[in-house]
Amino acid sequence: MKSAENMAKSDDLALIIAGCRKGEARCFSRLVDMYAGRCYSYFYRLTGNSDISDELLSELFVKLVQKITSYKGGSFESWLFKIATNIFHDFLRSKQRRQKLLDARKEQLESNFTELKKTGDEQIDRLQIQLKRLDTDTRELIMLRFYSQLSFKEIAKMRSEPIGTTLAKLHRGLKKLREFMEG
Amino acid sequence: MDNRSDENLRELVEKFFDPEQAQMYLDDIEKGEQILHAHPAPEPDEMLIANIKAEIALHALPRRATLVKRITYAAAAVAAAVIIITATNTGLFKKTIDVGPSPTREYASLFPWNSNEVEVFNTEVEQIESELMDLKLGRGSSTAIMTYLKWK
Repeated sequence: MKSAENMAKSDDLALIIAGCRKGEARCFSRLVDMYAGRCYSYFYRLTGNSDISDELLSELFVKLVQKITSYKGGSFESWLFKIATNIFHDFLRSKQRRQKLLDARKEQLESNFTELKKTGDEQIDRLQIQLKRLDTDTRELIMLRFYSQLSFKEIAKMRSEPIGTTLAKLHRGLKKLREFMEG
Repeated sequence: MDNRSDENLRELVEKFFDPEQAQMYLDDIEKGEQILHAHPAPEPDEMLIANIKAEIALHALPRRATLVKRITYAAAAVAAAVIIITATNTGLFKKTIDVGPSPTREYASLFPWNSNEVEVFNTEVEQIESELMDLKLGRGSSTAIMTYLKWK
């Protein structure tokens, strides 16, 4: 059973989304206020870089404006984080392309690369270092569960995998992360 | 759709593990999430949020303009349809300008005489018949009748 508070929240959200569908900028601003923090943290923990997280967050909300009419109800968080996940995957693909380009012209771009790395390193905390030791899929699952606040059922559906697999992967990932942090 | 706040994690985990394993699983999850809570990620910069809002407003404006345009066109189409239907029903499109008497067509008669001539002819026939009757009865002048018939 949903609590009264949850129902009130979902009613508010429904009104905000209805406003967004009409193209009302103030309703989009409300969504930014509601979700920017969680989405930014999600991107930051996945990339470990504030500049990239800034870019990905901007891209996410621009996509939100473009795609809001395709939202057909259901869990808004699930829909939003699905877009966020796709944006992160696109970033990974472009990063791989960049890496190939970088390898090909290593000497030419070495200075730029060092500068970029330095910017990222400045803000990396201990957790971020240990997160990097996990594989991308596990890291993504942990962050999705933590920041999206989605249920396992929703996460499993989003990732198109059985719920048992999602439970097992998250358990394994968090256990490993704790070991890294304690080690 | 059930969200995280409605989720009964213990019940879910116990579907996959025995109670002892389920408890271990829940403990591991809790401890792992405690680490994440203890190391909060940085918040987005206020300037970034302001920029995103400005960018969104730019993207939202054309959407709104398009929506307004679409509604206006739809309203105009409906209004036009209503006007046409009303006008058709009230006879607004009937000709109201006086263009004078409508031209009449005259058709050639199949008969070589008109209706007046027929009446005259009938009268004359009746007159001839009465004169012939008079002649048979020996009344009137036969020469006058013969002259008349010749003339006819």
